[in-house]
Amino acid sequence: MRLSIFSMRSCVIAMSLLLSVGGASALEKPTGDVILTITAAHLEHPNIDGTAQFDLNMLEELSGRSGEMETPWTQGRVKFSGPLLRAVLEAAGAHGSTMKVKAINDYIADVPIDDALDLDTILATRMNGEPMSVREKGPLFLIYPFDKDPGLYNEKYFSRSVWQIKAIEVTP
Amino acid sequence: MKNRARHSGDVIRKVSKLTAVLQLFSVGLLLGLAFLLADISNRYATLQGGIRENALWSVYQLDRETRRLHELLHLSLAKNDLQLVTLKNIATRYDILYSRISILEKTNFENQFALDKAVDEKVAEIKQAVFGVVGTFDAIAARKPVDERILTEIDAILEKAATKTEELLLHTNNAISVARAENRAEVLGMQIKTGLLIALLVCCVLFLIITLRRQLRSVKRAGLDLEDLTNKLVESYQAAEAGNRAKSQFMATIGHEIRTPLNAILGTAELLELAPLPPEILPGVQTIRRSGGALLEIINEILDFAKIEHNRIEVDLRPVDIKSLVESTLDMIRDRALEHGNRIELVVLDAFAAPVVETDPTRLRQVMLNLLSNAVKFTKDGTVTLGVAEMVSAGTLRLRVEIRDTGIGISQSSMDKLFRPFSQVDASISREYGGTGLGLTICKQIIDAMGGQIGVQSVVDEGSTFWFEIPVAKASLPLEMEIKDNDAQLTLPRLKVLLIEDNLVNQQVAAGFLRHLGQHVSIANDGLEGVQMAETEDFNLVLMDMQMPRMDGIEATRRMRVIPGKPAELPIIAMTANASEDDRRLCVDAGMSDFQSKPVTMTQLRSIIARTRKITKEQASSSDFTPETVSTTDSDAFAARRAEMVEALGEDVFHELLASFFHDAAGVLAHLRGALAEGDEEKSDHLLHTLKGAAASVGLTEVASKSQEFRTSVLTAGRIQDLERIVKDNQKRYAA
Repeated sequence: MRLSIFSMRSCVIAMSLLLSVGGASALEKPTGDVILTITAAHLEHPNIDGTAQFDLNMLEELSGRSGEMETPWTQGRVKFSGPLLRAVLEAAGAHGSTMKVKAINDYIADVPIDDALDLDTILATRMNGEPMSVREKGPLFLIYPFDKDPGLYNEKYFSRSVWQIKAIEVTP
Repeated sequence: MKNRARHSGDVIRKVSKLTAVLQLFSVGLLLGLAFLLADISNRYATLQGGIRENALWSVYQLDRETRRLHELLHLSLAKNDLQLVTLKNIATRYDILYSRISILEKTNFENQFALDKAVDEKVAEIKQAVFGVVGTFDAIAARKPVDERILTEIDAILEKAATKTEELLLHTNNAISVARAENRAEVLGMQIKTGLLIALLVCCVLFLIITLRRQLRSVKRAGLDLEDLTNKLVESYQAAEAGNRAKSQFMATIGHEIRTPLNAILGTAELLELAPLPPEILPGVQTIRRSGGALLEIINEILDFAKIEHNRIEVDLRPVDIKSLVESTLDMIRDRALEHGNRIELVVLDAFAAPVVETDPTRLRQVMLNLLSNAVKFTKDGTVTLGVAEMVSAGTLRLRVEIRDTGIGISQSSMDKLFRPFSQVDASISREYGGTGLGLTICKQIIDAMGGQIGVQSVVDEGSTFWFEIPVAKASLPLEMEIKDNDAQLTLPRLKVLLIEDNLVNQQVAAGFLRHLGQHVSIANDGLEGVQMAETEDFNLVLMDMQMPRMDGIEATRRMRVIPGKPAELPIIAMTANASEDDRRLCVDAGMSDFQSKPVTMTQLRSIIARTRKITKEQASSSDFTPETVSTTDSDAFAARRAEMVEALGEDVFHELLASFFHDAAGVLAHLRGALAEGDEEKSDHLLHTLKGAAASVGLTEVASKSQEFRTSVLTAGRIQDLERIVKDNQKRYAA
């Protein structure tokens, strides 16, 4: 019962959004390989089955930044670039307080949503301009702006810097 | 006292040393602490720099991923499930494992175990195993068909790799545990070290506090001791000062007492010389006179020195005509020079920038006379030259005086001794030439006080040149001052003079002199009367006796100075027989303008009036008065006094005065016997003072000096008889 009500409600929301804002704000469907799936109790702009799914192109079209920095997982200065995490969440219409960031190897880290809103945290899609393979900790790497704020360079943020990301679950 | 002060000093020094050592120790400890802190902060910095992916976690993940890949492959092979999806999953797991290896490879993970060969080998083996099969998985990713046999081989390789990763995991775990333990031990060691250092530091500080407290206590004690010492020193100083003052007073008194009879001796000798004497006696009389003169000079020098030693020299500046001052000084020495067969020369540079300068003529004359008399004394049948010049150096006008002689000269080594008190060049000099050795000291003191320099150049057997230089200022003589003090044609103003004097004889003498000098005289019989008169009438000059009944001169002066509406510059001149420094200070303190020793002569009175004239020019009436020339000789005190008084008062008045003195004296002496019988010392002292003053006034120096002498010693009936005898003698001699 609960499930049906839930799905009904999300349908209603999705429909009302479609009606009110038109097609512009609705998340388009991915055309390439899906590399990120965002789930939440309710999403404003789901595109597939109540989730927001992204391919590389969709992510790289969002507003992002690039920065050169050193990390404990790379050698020397490395340039990471990719969409801002908050832009990704906005595109998905996800709201909440915490994110469960999941990696391909089932590693999960809890990241407060404030890290996305207050910091220029990116979901890096490229390292030194090249897309990252799984072997190179790709396809997505949560990168904090270590270049802007050296105070972030510690284990607290290292453990939140998830690589090989495949999904983010936003919890209220 | 001295020991206590030294002990306090020792204590302070000892404690200070201890404090210094403790301070040094504390500084050392602080440095140690600083090093420790620096070490800790360094370690923290390396910890920060070494922030890296947790090694244990990385190895654990590696092990896990190896096992998962192996499991998945093994299971798929066992089930014979080699579908594309399954293979793809297997390939993904391989990719993850691959990325795990690259973490080990790319990060500075190795650094942590850089020295651990076992780790190196294991990592290399695992790498070899995993990277060795990369081709197969690349093929799977590219969706190429893969042989089952190859997969089985990979399965075996992975199984081996899994054991290796497990070993690596255990090894890493051990290594990290050991490192952690070591770290903990190190931190503990550091904590202990820091704790020790801090404990030592605390001890040090405690010691320091204790020492400082001790030091403070010692310092306080030492301070108290020093204060005590100072007080005692002050007391001793005051005692010494009082002794010195008493000595000076004594010297002044003695000097006075010696000078009076000496004057009599000299006068008598001079008179004798004039009288027709047998030729064998005359040289003897001359010797008496010369020796007396030398004695007088010595006494004067000693008195001068006592005065100078006791009081700073006061320089009284006034316009002086240098040329006439020099000439009059030379005149004073000329006779003596002739006696030694010396020629006197005066070299004055006529081109004086300023013929009249501001300086102290009395002091200047004193110095010149002293140097001249030395030159004359040490030169026989030679030349003494006095050179005077003015020059401008560094913008100030300087007067230079040189006294050159052709005498015995002074050796280089002896010149240093000159200008020092009581030091004659050598003992033989004092035997041969006499003298106190104070003259040059006095000269130097005077020249110093005038801000000048004094010096000497000399060659033995050729002569000496004494010179001095003093700064002077150009001046001009005021019109009325151009008349020299000793000018016979002195024009005196007519002043209103208030004479305050209790002794009748003194009163009459002084008033007679003043009238003779054309002055208007009012007489007050004591201080109180004088003050009352000064309140109601305006005077130009006040002559004040010091010791008077009812109110003495000091008190009267004080009161006069505060009478409203009286000119502050009204000259009040003290007249006293006691010319001591203390008396003088008392006079000045009370507000007196000047000081005149008694008995007052006409010449002195004339100069007082001349000086007053300048001050009171406006108030004085314009009817000037020209007195006749008065010549006084020092040959005989009484004769001089008599001549002066006869001059001023007339023969009859003088005899009247003399008669009234002897009449009064008889009365005074009778009272004196009464006072002695009653034992009233104060009264007898007063009577003696009265007698002395009156006797001095009429020129009876013997009576005066005896009276004074008995004032300072115990009065006996015999002494009164002595006095009576002397008075009678005098009466017989003069009043007959």
